[in-house]
Amino acid sequence: MTDPRPKSAQLRAYNVGFGDCLLLSIDYAASARHVLIDFGTSKLPARAPATRMLDVAKAIEQETGGHLDLIVATHRHSDHISGFGAAKSGDVIESLQPAAVLQPWTEHPDLDPAARTPAAAESAQGRLALSRTLHYMSAFAGGAASEGRRLAAVARFPKSVASRLEFLGETNITNPAAVERLMAMGRAGRPLHASFGDDLGLDDLLPGVTIDVLGPPTLEDHPSIARQTTEDAEQFWHLAGSWGLAASERSATVHDLAPLFSTGHVLKRVPQAAKWLVPQIERAYAEEVLSLLRVLDGVLNNTSLILLMRIADTTLLFPGDAQIENWSYALFDAPNADQIRRRLAKTHVYKVGHHGSLNGTPKTMWNDLARRGDEQAPGRLITVLSTAAGKHGDARRNTEVPRRVLLEALRAGSDARTTQSTRSNKRPWIDVAVPLSGGR
Amino acid sequence: MTAQISLPWEDLEPGPMGYAVYVVDYDASTGTMYRQAEAPEEDTVTAPSSRRGLLADPGYHALNVYAIAMRTLLRFEFALGRRVGWGIRGHQLKIVPHAFEEANAYYSPDAEALLLGYVRSKQPTFLCLSHDIVAHEAAHALLDGLRDKFMAPSSPDQAALHEAFADIVALLSVFSLPEVVGHLLAPVRDATAPEGLVSKAKLTWEVLADTALLGLAEEMRDDASSVRGNALRRSVRIEPQRGMLARAEFEEEHRRGEVLVAAVMRAFLSAWAARITRLGSGDGAFVDRKLVAEQGADIADLMLTMVIRAIDYTPPIHITFGDFLSALVTADGEVRVDDSRYELRRHLLATMGQYGIVPASGTKDGRWLRPDKRLVREGSHLGSLQTDPTEMFRHLWNNRSVLDLNANAHTRVASVRPSVRVSPEDGFQVRETVVECVQYLKITTSELGAHGLKAPDGLPTDAEVVLEGGSTLILDEYGELKFEVSNPLPSKRTSAAAQERWQRRLEFLFKQGYLTRGFNRSVGLASFHRERMMARGDTAADRALAIRLAEEGWT
Repeated sequence: MTDPRPKSAQLRAYNVGFGDCLLLSIDYAASARHVLIDFGTSKLPARAPATRMLDVAKAIEQETGGHLDLIVATHRHSDHISGFGAAKSGDVIESLQPAAVLQPWTEHPDLDPAARTPAAAESAQGRLALSRTLHYMSAFAGGAASEGRRLAAVARFPKSVASRLEFLGETNITNPAAVERLMAMGRAGRPLHASFGDDLGLDDLLPGVTIDVLGPPTLEDHPSIARQTTEDAEQFWHLAGSWGLAASERSATVHDLAPLFSTGHVLKRVPQAAKWLVPQIERAYAEEVLSLLRVLDGVLNNTSLILLMRIADTTLLFPGDAQIENWSYALFDAPNADQIRRRLAKTHVYKVGHHGSLNGTPKTMWNDLARRGDEQAPGRLITVLSTAAGKHGDARRNTEVPRRVLLEALRAGSDARTTQSTRSNKRPWIDVAVPLSGGR
Repeated sequence: MTAQISLPWEDLEPGPMGYAVYVVDYDASTGTMYRQAEAPEEDTVTAPSSRRGLLADPGYHALNVYAIAMRTLLRFEFALGRRVGWGIRGHQLKIVPHAFEEANAYYSPDAEALLLGYVRSKQPTFLCLSHDIVAHEAAHALLDGLRDKFMAPSSPDQAALHEAFADIVALLSVFSLPEVVGHLLAPVRDATAPEGLVSKAKLTWEVLADTALLGLAEEMRDDASSVRGNALRRSVRIEPQRGMLARAEFEEEHRRGEVLVAAVMRAFLSAWAARITRLGSGDGAFVDRKLVAEQGADIADLMLTMVIRAIDYTPPIHITFGDFLSALVTADGEVRVDDSRYELRRHLLATMGQYGIVPASGTKDGRWLRPDKRLVREGSHLGSLQTDPTEMFRHLWNNRSVLDLNANAHTRVASVRPSVRVSPEDGFQVRETVVECVQYLKITTSELGAHGLKAPDGLPTDAEVVLEGGSTLILDEYGELKFEVSNPLPSKRTSAAAQERWQRRLEFLFKQGYLTRGFNRSVGLASFHRERMMARGDTAADRALAIRLAEEGWT
């Protein structure tokens, strides 16, 4: 490359419903480089064809001219990686031969509980504990999804609760096809598993671009990120995971959720006096599973990469689904937290964290953003939201996604863009020109 | 480890279903209803002798939860001197011994039930087989019946108290079984002592702590408690320090509750160790092992009575640990005047003091002061005043000024409960009427100033804010006011200290999101247990994180 300075850049956010898929394209004098950040959905838009992810993959192929320089898979939730796993759309992306694949450290193959490699044995016990816990959590999520489907068929059982179980369960299941594809693409190119402060060494792939990894921190730096991996908790998720495996494989013979006691102890009919109670127990059970799902959903979100990119003088922030636990280290606890906050304050383009949930955009970070301002403000902050309303949370509990008060703040303080604004099936994306001249 | 307990006979329906408890053996994870256990034909029910037999017998599981819940209920009735109801609309608490495949158990007011989970592994673990877990959940349901506002958010102390109280009841309930105490003391070796005896010098506070308290904690580790989280194991490790409750780590409700549990259990040990030194004669004297165990169980039993009895002397809302301590010593002193045998009040005051828990009464002996108030009784009928909430409301309304009631608030007499307790000294009855009166005031943020309160930063100006206050009134057998334990709504007469408590309460509620979001009691307890199990809030870092979660989110 003769002139390594970026000339222009564009961020394209595809409307994949509830999920993330962003393509960052950087133009140089004689060539372009392309970074794909996530490629997943847990619920397609209402009127989108079933082929949406394949359509998006083909559009990416066309836009990139058949080659990706970097794939970032922020974390393993299905709404961020499912597209890599699907046969057709995943094949298209793999054919773009990404030069590097960047994932959080928690996805390192050596941490696979089944891997049993020497590196795994040498790895810090805490990391392995987290990895095992994530494994059990995934099994639990599988069970929860199947219980959601079973309960949906139970008479008088609230459909909304059953579908929430299924949805959140599916989101949290490990998608082996996607995980393996990411691993294979990494092996074919350059596999990167990053944690806070890592130098990614991508200057050759993305000249003139610097990337600060602000999350996830390592367990050694910030044990709170995995507080569910204490000894008791690991045991808890282990047991919960075995339930999940059994629940999701109902036909299994070894451990298939058969009644606990021999058939002589089983009643065919519910006694009259217990008829009021049985639906209450069903409901309490579903709520219990749902609450656990929310816990593990949060744990996975907190393994998310937080990337702060600088292209020329322009700063872009991609926090995946990181929540406060993950953000905490960079914002408050890292030795250089003040310096990081000053860097964050310069952000020009903010990809809104966690689909606009109530705890994906730390208020401290938001309040620090110097480019917030009204429509007339020069070099105004641009925010990009990829979301679908009505899938997560509950407005009555102030947990709806996207969160109303956050949307109001985004609209008041930035040029707020959202994937929900496009319904086009031909061009299902929004384009954001990334200003490289610096602004104010 | 098993122990035998005795219950009064009742004519049971299959379930078993009695006047206070109905065991419903439905498993939501497999959608299975198990056969209802028949009432036992014999007077004695024995646990299956083999572990395998125990695990395979749901009928025994049902009888086990029935027996433990009834024993807990009867302990409450004995301590309070009256029939006691659960915190549910009906009278029969449902207990579901195999509710779901999950290592959690909780009391659900919505389902009017105790839901006990199980875990299948190589060998199943049934939470319904753990005495302490069933007693713990039953204690939640009973405390909820006595003080329904204690499950509502108010302060770190109140958030911690429900769980700590249930733990204390469960642990003292286990220690009040002499077989258990005897079993725990078995590892204390004394080669010099004749068979069945042990040297007093071998039974120091430290030895009792190691064998009895830690021993029980270890027993529980092998038991269902290890899947559910082990309160005792964590509590006994908390070394006392006076300023600890002000530290951020112990503002977290789970940790805070464990401090109260630690204080009560250490007081129990101190009283027991002191009692042992007075047994036999001389330092080197031998004492009977069985007697030592019985004395330990007796002290645990007495302390259990004190802890339960204290609830009548607590405010109906916004309780603090200091309130609980004053209630403990006052309620006990009213019935059990002579404390010289075990000196339980002295030990409790001393140990609580070591953890920085001081009586809210501000008095040296920790007891509530008798109010310097006389209520007018024109037109009130003494008989009705002891039982009838409407008559009581009329009485309180006529005395609203002297009782500092806010006439603009919604006022409700939540309960009027006559109680009869027998004094162990002279055998005479102590007759009291316990009255709970609560007030509810809904105002807007802008009206907070008129009540001497400042709106928390960030609270919208048009938000509606609910203030709740209340008083517990203890009337003697003539209907005279004996004690007034109050947390009234803020008024001109509110002291500066009480006003500051109100401000802190408001800030706490706002920070936790309750001012705007409300609170579901059933969900609250379930998640409390789950978070505890996952050891959330273990460290100062976790606590700092919890504060951040509240501050950084878009609630």
